[in-house]
Amino acid sequence: MHSESELEILMARYQQGDHAAATALIHRLSPQLHRFFLVQFTGREDADDLLQETWLRIHEVRHTYRTGEPVLPWFYAIARHIRVDHYRKALRTTGREQALEETPEPAAPTASGRSANLEEMLAPLPASQREVIEMLKIAGMSLEEVARATSSTVGSVKQKAHRAYAALRERLSGMAIGEGRAGVVGER
Amino acid sequence: MRDREIDTILDQAARTPHDVDPALLDRIADSVGRSFAAVRPVRPAWVLGTALILICAAAAVAFAALIGFYGIRKLSGWERALVFPVLAILVWLAATTRVAEVTPGSRRRVSPESLLAVVTLALLAVFAILFHDYHTHHFLGGVACLKAGLLDAIPAALASWLLVRRGFAVNSVASGMVAGTLAGLAGVVMLELHCPNFEALHVLLWHTSVVPSAAAAGALLEWLRGLPARA
Repeated sequence: MHSESELEILMARYQQGDHAAATALIHRLSPQLHRFFLVQFTGREDADDLLQETWLRIHEVRHTYRTGEPVLPWFYAIARHIRVDHYRKALRTTGREQALEETPEPAAPTASGRSANLEEMLAPLPASQREVIEMLKIAGMSLEEVARATSSTVGSVKQKAHRAYAALRERLSGMAIGEGRAGVVGER
Repeated sequence: MRDREIDTILDQAARTPHDVDPALLDRIADSVGRSFAAVRPVRPAWVLGTALILICAAAAVAFAALIGFYGIRKLSGWERALVFPVLAILVWLAATTRVAEVTPGSRRRVSPESLLAVVTLALLAVFAILFHDYHTHHFLGGVACLKAGLLDAIPAALASWLLVRRGFAVNSVASGMVAGTLAGLAGVVMLELHCPNFEALHVLLWHTSVVPSAAAAGALLEWLRGLPARA
């Protein structure tokens, strides 16, 4: 997590042509942007490519950031645009059916394993809910910032988060009951 | 399973460090560093919004001046007091949405689709309240109004595109739709200044349809513009 004002200062220096500020931003924000791509069912190699593409686009349009505006929504809006573009291209090249076949089966998260893999845990959620949860809970953005990044309203973000939690609750409770039963059978 | 437990799991996941290959980060820093220069940030949103409103007003007044201010002369005082403030509010809403559409991560008051719906319904409501002549003597001649409205929308759209061309639209089709909505509104303002035909069906259909037609044209143009990149 980085303080917003620190990122704002780096961004302003980046716009003024400070290469060290650009490098600092790349090193600070890349891990969370990379994770954002991974959560969306992208393989590690694809996530690497998307990250690179995102930074090139960020560099191209860095003048569109206005000082004083929240920084993270600006970065995430561009990253999201790159991801959506990539997804559309993948659909066109491989065909819808094939793309669906290649989508990894949602792995069952373990309710007891608290450090369950994040990508696996969010796998059953629709993409729009996954990205909202990733931004809210992993990137630590506020509802307002997520709304800005996803070009939607706070109400819509709240609704997606609520639905995502309902789906996760149901799934994880089911897993806990399943594990409990397995434990009882095992004891017998 | 409670929400708090889900929060705990997600918190733990958030705290788990996620590393990216340092060589990749160096490659990114290198490629970014190859073309490095200071840039001038885009102008403040209120400056761009005000400029867009002025462009719309100028396009509408200039076109109406060319073909005559017959409509505004025929409108009564209270009709003018209702139509033009409503149009001003709609133009302001469309202008601020247009600026937001070309600024990544900015706050949206309405989505492009909602904007189009709000503008269309507001125009229909105002026209339905104001005009009660249900004759259809000159109904088919209304095509000329649609054409004139769209013709006026073209310079408004071009000028507004020039103004915000340094922006970056994360959704180009939606951005085109908003640009069309705004330009279409300039066309409607022009028609209210010019058109003396106050038959209800004429105004409801031909004047209002300038906005969705321009919005559809804007979205289509942006979609076509993106075709080479998608191919």
